[in-house]
Amino acid sequence: MTIVRDGPVVRLQGICRVEDAEPLTALLQGASASTLDLAACEGLHGAVIQAILAFRPKIIGVPDDPFLRDVLLPALIGEQSCEVPRA
Amino acid sequence: MTDDLMVQFLSEGRELVAGAEHDLGRLARQPDDAGALDGCFRAIHTLKGSAGLFDLRPMSLMLHAAEDLLALLRAERTGVAEDFEALFSVVDTIDRWLDALDHHGVLPAGAEETSQTETARLRALVASVSAPADLAVRPAATSWRPPEGFADKGLTAVRYTPRADSYFAGDDPVAIIAATPGLAGLRISPREPWAASEDYDPYACNLVLEAVSTLGRAEVEGTFRFVADQVEFVDLMTREARGAPQHGARKTLRIDAERVDRLAALAGDLVIAKNGLADLAAQAEALPGGQALGQALRARQAQLDRLVGDLHVTVGKVRLVALGPLFARFHRMAREIARSLDKAVSLEVEGGDVEVDKTIVDALFEPLLHVLRNAIDHGVEPAEVRARAGKPAVASIRFTARTVADQVVIEVRDDGAGVDPARIRTLATDRGVLTQEAADRLDDQASIDLIFTPGFSSANEVSAVSGRGVGMDVVREAAQKLGGKVEVDSQLGQGATVRFILPVTMVLTKVMVVTCGEERYGLALDTVVETVRVAAERIVPVRAGRAFQLRDAVVPLLSLGDLVGAASAETRSSERVVVARARGELVGLAVDAIVDRMDAAVRPMTGLLAGAPGVMGATLLADGAVLMVLDPAELLT
Repeated sequence: MTIVRDGPVVRLQGICRVEDAEPLTALLQGASASTLDLAACEGLHGAVIQAILAFRPKIIGVPDDPFLRDVLLPALIGEQSCEVPRA
Repeated sequence: MTDDLMVQFLSEGRELVAGAEHDLGRLARQPDDAGALDGCFRAIHTLKGSAGLFDLRPMSLMLHAAEDLLALLRAERTGVAEDFEALFSVVDTIDRWLDALDHHGVLPAGAEETSQTETARLRALVASVSAPADLAVRPAATSWRPPEGFADKGLTAVRYTPRADSYFAGDDPVAIIAATPGLAGLRISPREPWAASEDYDPYACNLVLEAVSTLGRAEVEGTFRFVADQVEFVDLMTREARGAPQHGARKTLRIDAERVDRLAALAGDLVIAKNGLADLAAQAEALPGGQALGQALRARQAQLDRLVGDLHVTVGKVRLVALGPLFARFHRMAREIARSLDKAVSLEVEGGDVEVDKTIVDALFEPLLHVLRNAIDHGVEPAEVRARAGKPAVASIRFTARTVADQVVIEVRDDGAGVDPARIRTLATDRGVLTQEAADRLDDQASIDLIFTPGFSSANEVSAVSGRGVGMDVVREAAQKLGGKVEVDSQLGQGATVRFILPVTMVLTKVMVVTCGEERYGLALDTVVETVRVAAERIVPVRAGRAFQLRDAVVPLLSLGDLVGAASAETRSSERVVVARARGELVGLAVDAIVDRMDAAVRPMTGLLAGAPGVMGATLLADGAVLMVLDPAELLT
């Protein structure tokens, strides 16, 4: 997959695999990347999802994949109770 | 006020006891059944609250201890057999006390001591729950409650807590849970609070995935077969299975049975009152120029007829109640009876949702209890006999109910020794119930039927449980009073089935009781138009018969005694006449006296009398005598 950095927006494209978790984490750890665009995303590995949950970027863009769109996205957005890590 | 409260407490208390009992039964089979544990906790909690409204200290104390134990079981660990035994014992005790409160208005003697014993037992269990050793063996995992919203979305909830090294192991926990068949909802949260940003390890799995599926547990489990050690399942109850919602609209209404009875009686009276209209219509038609009025009246009468009929049926349905609560009361009885006889039985109940008229449900408790006692006492063999016969040590007794057309069939089936026809014949002749020759002529089924003969009791010795001078004849009589019957099927060595066949609704017929000489007869009141006293001089002979003038009509007069062949009464200065309508014509029936009006369950005649003309059926009077109910229309043909 491709992780594209566009100013404060990080775009995830294609299928995100376990090895994408580390670069994504690095981007999200930096204060400048605060928004995640999932519009072109086709699949998310658990490790990537975990990173999204941990850093809670603002999510924009709706993926086409039914599972991502209808099940996972609500779970990612609806999860308000987890603690946000602060440096 | 207090009485009203008590009545409500008793009725709700029984339901709560039945509910707790049901949940405990489930817990005994599956100790981590969270739904059952919650249900049981709620029932005990509500009972405790209600008991607090009255001066029932022993009950409150015991329930308080039970609630504490249940609360700990919910929070700390899964219950073990001793916990459920103690809780069963509490529920049984409460059930007995409710009976005592119902009958005597007070708790039985010794309640205080019983409460102390039970409370001490519960407290000891609570103490053992808190012991650290217990906590070590029982992981806290089972205390998982699926998220609130899950219950409405599906049948099975699953929580998957992947191990921290899952990503290294090549697992994608999200892909696994995404493959859940019937997936209807997902929640992902961190297992441990997130580490500080710079310490975040992207390859250490720190997720808890919770999902709900619309399918049953069996269909869901397969998905998780490779990570079975990391998942938990909870069966969610459907909305219907959860019963009445705790908040919001209640669809049922608790109504005092007496008011419903009053309503039923009024509906019945309306039927009678309506019958008078037909006569009025006829009279109006007979008036000069009254044709139109008479026909209009008749049309109205037909409409009223239909409405009253509907009302009658609807009121009858109001009285229908489920058999479940009645059946539930036998769980405790079965345990107690079995314990006193040193036998082990398990009682299963099926068809508790079958609805029957309340009168029937109320009247069935004693007969069913008697049958249950008989089944455990005489049916179930002693342990060593069962072992020799290769039967399970725990005997099975099944209560089943089903509706067949407009009847309900209630069966009590045991897997005991069955009824031995040869032994019944011997006992019957020994006890002088019938002669040897008569016994020899009986086939096996007829021999088994002998247990219903008054005075026959099949126990060799009178035991504390069954030998109370009440025999199966009382059971048969009870069934007959309800307009039904009872029969026994038996397979020697395999068990026996006692079958009640009863009407679903009490079809009560209004009956007028009259006398002719020594005999009493019933006349169906819907055929009776009025009763009059006719002076002897107003009675005129018409050819071979007699007649009298009723307002502007001449009505033939017959003696009911002559019609049924009863002793003819002597000539009197005036006659008591029941004016009935038979095939559209009025007819006077002379009787000696009109003694009563009653509502009765009229059974059709059986056997030799089945074809007797003019006899609608028979019913039992309060004194046990049989009353023949006559149909005037048929009598006259």
